[in-house]
Amino acid sequence: MLSYLIRRVLFALFTCWAISVLAFIIIQLPPGDFVDAYISNLSASGSGISADQAEQLRAEYALDQPIWVQYARWMRLMAQGDLGMAMEWQRPVTEVIGDRLWLTMVVSFAAVVLTWIVALPIGIYSAVRPYSPLDYLFTLLGFLGLAIPSFLLGLLVLYFGFVYFNANIGGLFSPEYIDAPWSWAKLWDMMKHLPVPAVILGIASMAQAIRIMRANLLDELRKPYVVTARAKGLSEWRAIWKYPVRVALNPFASTIGYTLPYVVSGSIIVSLVLGLPTVGPLLLRSLIAQDMFLAGAIVLLLGVLTVIGTLVSDLLLMWIDPRIRVED
Amino acid sequence: MTRPRTRGADEIMRDVARKQVSRRGLMKGAAAAGLVLPTAGTPLSAIRSAAAAQDEPLGSALIGELEGPIVLVDAPRPENLKQAPMLDPLVEDGTLPPVEERVPLEPLVVQPVEGIGTYGGVLRRGFTGPGDDENGNRYNSGDKLIFWDYTGTEFRPALAKSWEFSDEDRVFTIHLREGHKWSDGEPFTADDFVFWYEDLYLNPDIVPVPSGTFAINGQQGRVEKVDDLTVSFVFEEPYPLFLTILGGTTFMGSGQMTSRGFHGGAYAPAHYLRQFLPKYTAQAELDQMATEENVEDWIALLRLKSQWYLNPDLPILGPWRCVSPINTPNWTMERNPFYYEVDPEGNQLPYLDGIQMTLAENLEVLNLRAIAGEYDLQERHTDIAKLPVFLENMEQGDYSVHLDPGSYGSDATLQVNHSYDGDPEVAQWLHNADFRRALSMGIDRDQLNETFWLGVGSPGSVAPDPSVPQSPGEEWRTMWATRDVEQANQLLDEIGLTEKDGDGFRVRSDGNGRLRLEIFAISGAFVPFPRIAQAIAQQWQEIGIQLDVSELERNLGMTRMRNNEHQLFMWANDGSELIYAFPRHALPVDPAEAMMGPLIATWFVTNGEEGMEPTEQAMLDAIDLYRSAGGQTTEEANATAQEIWKIIVDNVFSIGTVGVSPAVMGIRIVKNTMGNIPARQVNMQHARTPQSSHPATFFFRNGGGS
Repeated sequence: MLSYLIRRVLFALFTCWAISVLAFIIIQLPPGDFVDAYISNLSASGSGISADQAEQLRAEYALDQPIWVQYARWMRLMAQGDLGMAMEWQRPVTEVIGDRLWLTMVVSFAAVVLTWIVALPIGIYSAVRPYSPLDYLFTLLGFLGLAIPSFLLGLLVLYFGFVYFNANIGGLFSPEYIDAPWSWAKLWDMMKHLPVPAVILGIASMAQAIRIMRANLLDELRKPYVVTARAKGLSEWRAIWKYPVRVALNPFASTIGYTLPYVVSGSIIVSLVLGLPTVGPLLLRSLIAQDMFLAGAIVLLLGVLTVIGTLVSDLLLMWIDPRIRVED
Repeated sequence: MTRPRTRGADEIMRDVARKQVSRRGLMKGAAAAGLVLPTAGTPLSAIRSAAAAQDEPLGSALIGELEGPIVLVDAPRPENLKQAPMLDPLVEDGTLPPVEERVPLEPLVVQPVEGIGTYGGVLRRGFTGPGDDENGNRYNSGDKLIFWDYTGTEFRPALAKSWEFSDEDRVFTIHLREGHKWSDGEPFTADDFVFWYEDLYLNPDIVPVPSGTFAINGQQGRVEKVDDLTVSFVFEEPYPLFLTILGGTTFMGSGQMTSRGFHGGAYAPAHYLRQFLPKYTAQAELDQMATEENVEDWIALLRLKSQWYLNPDLPILGPWRCVSPINTPNWTMERNPFYYEVDPEGNQLPYLDGIQMTLAENLEVLNLRAIAGEYDLQERHTDIAKLPVFLENMEQGDYSVHLDPGSYGSDATLQVNHSYDGDPEVAQWLHNADFRRALSMGIDRDQLNETFWLGVGSPGSVAPDPSVPQSPGEEWRTMWATRDVEQANQLLDEIGLTEKDGDGFRVRSDGNGRLRLEIFAISGAFVPFPRIAQAIAQQWQEIGIQLDVSELERNLGMTRMRNNEHQLFMWANDGSELIYAFPRHALPVDPAEAMMGPLIATWFVTNGEEGMEPTEQAMLDAIDLYRSAGGQTTEEANATAQEIWKIIVDNVFSIGTVGVSPAVMGIRIVKNTMGNIPARQVNMQHARTPQSSHPATFFFRNGGGS
């Protein structure tokens, strides 16, 4: 057990390093660099800097150095626990991400919790009463939820919210609270804005979770041990909850590997559409700006979280499902 | 002066539907006067009547009357100076000196467009991120040495109250205002120019390459202090164009707040910036500061500290100073209590307490917020394609829509790469004037105008609006720029492209199949370049020319363009209305962005040592004319610019489509509570729109609440 754990951790470390190299290479792949992106941005807004000033900037960001020197520089900073300076934002990467990380986690966490709260009971109900009218209704809704892209749903909600309820467009706060320091009023304002992004973000995974739960539980309910339990006179409630539901939960535990990075990044497209100040749009933006430090840090962070998440879900599975422990 | 009342949304929508939205000639008459020195003392009444003379029937409710605040040149300081209520407590407790000591003895007196405003309120706007500093720079361009009137054609005093040339135009002298102070209360004097020159400009670590705009015929100028309030720029040879250079958005003329920390603008707050220079502070201490600010070295530290939108401590001279920097979700500014502008009744400007810019994650969100009426004033990033939606929601959002047409010729120019060498056959045709003329005549500009500009643009060549002093005239807007398929086909046949393939497309002369041209069109710009390029590709089928459209992400496209990989590149030719201050979109002379030939630009700046010499004599002629303008007076240089434009248009160096339109930064959404907002303002880079309307005079009619 312990050796298994050590082996997994060592492997995770190696994976993280490989992610850092890959992330760096991929970010450097498109032609041009941050200064090119900066100049393009200026040109698009009707101004510009001279070629000499561009060279000056390049030297300042060490972009005139060969790629391995830049990678070594990045790694050296990392080793000191410094993620570097976000070039576009002119602030330390930790601060830039930190600003948004908290809000991202709130939104994503709300979405995940909502997904599970809604999906589990519905999934169980559908499995226990298959082919009932309600099951058909949930199936229909579930397929709709799966089929509608969440960004489209986001646009629709924004539009109807604006036209019929005069709601604010996008964001997590009303304009008067964006600047305000944290207070109960601001918290309440955020809580009022939270349901819409949480529902939109949650709806696709909700539909998926319902289907998975229903299918798994249906399989379990047909197994002999359930039949035996019922035959022995175990109450229906206990016969379902004690084992079949627990076994059917396995796939949920195994998705934690992906849930963790998701909680941190949020959904990029939905966040963009809804104008949420989360990490997702920041990543897209840093990639477009070729802001190596910021993009690299986010990609690396997501990679590391995936690795940790997978590790955690493996451990969780062992805890939920005794069979895995036995096989190991 | 009464402003045209905004009509109901329905009425305007109907007009748009009937395509009655036509354009009015921009500043007719006012332009004929050409560039006049303010010392010539154009009387106020003359300017007013010139403005009134334009009062012909409006072609549209959206393109209103060009108007703006008047700078009262040489007006004395009003008797009773007043200040914003928010400053009262600060003066009472001694934090600030009284307003009489904060305003210069000779302030800039400005007559607002509508009348005296009231103090208070924070202007709400949207911005798109740390790269959008120009969004605030343009509101703070009151810190230029020399500026323009509201028509963007005549010089007006700004930081410099007056100026003159002497020694046969070798010496340019400016006079500062007595008692003028930085935003921290320290005096602004000639020493700030000397510091800028000696400690910043001449230090190769800080400014590695001396600016071409501070040199005539390759010889650098220098700064000399005459007395505390008088500064001379001294040149080896006559350099009358220097006045225009200072008026333009150039290294020398942009002012401190627009120089982006590259230390342009000819002055700097010596008392503050000294602490970041090795000359005045121990190296160890500087390294310490650099480490604390997370930057590489003292040079980067100095650059960081010199950017007003990143460093709230930086003393500035513009109307608003930074409170919360641009790299936060809320970029906020508050009034500079030492600003040097006052209204005729002695109210120190600005009227607005501050500006609040909220970060929009993307342009769609920004436009939606504008439609919802969440901004008080937004002319940046607003999308012309959404004009009908803006109009539809005017009442609900409690705003009105103003259109400000630009003065440059073409929002979607097909910039021809005159140094293209990737495919000799294609290069040969691209560098043939008749071929380009035929391409230009193959475009149906009216169709493009209706489809992509909703009919509010002006179809034509690349030449600027006839109203600007450098325009060669109305007829050059249409030369080679009206659809004539027959003549286009005839020209193509004459130059030898007679063979066609089975689909009716002309084939290459080297026998390698169809002649295919490629255009780079960048997505996500102010104007939908890829879709416009597709429409042109369709239109060119009739002249048998195959055009392939490569839709590229902005940075990728720009990088490939700099690498000389493009044949045609679609971009606006913005800034070209003042060709000497911003030549890059009219001639290939600036290597920073030379869509018309990166190798030619290199050839130009290295005096022929590197790069590629233009193959066409006409291009050489145009570049020679451009080079000769430095030694010419403003009037002569404008005449030269007209000659340059004639060569550019006649040889179709690049192909214009539709321009002189509000598509770029000209869709202005204004909350109905705002006052002193011109019905129409110029939309020019050198006029730093909206600085030409003096944002310091904008105010809230309801006293500041929104």
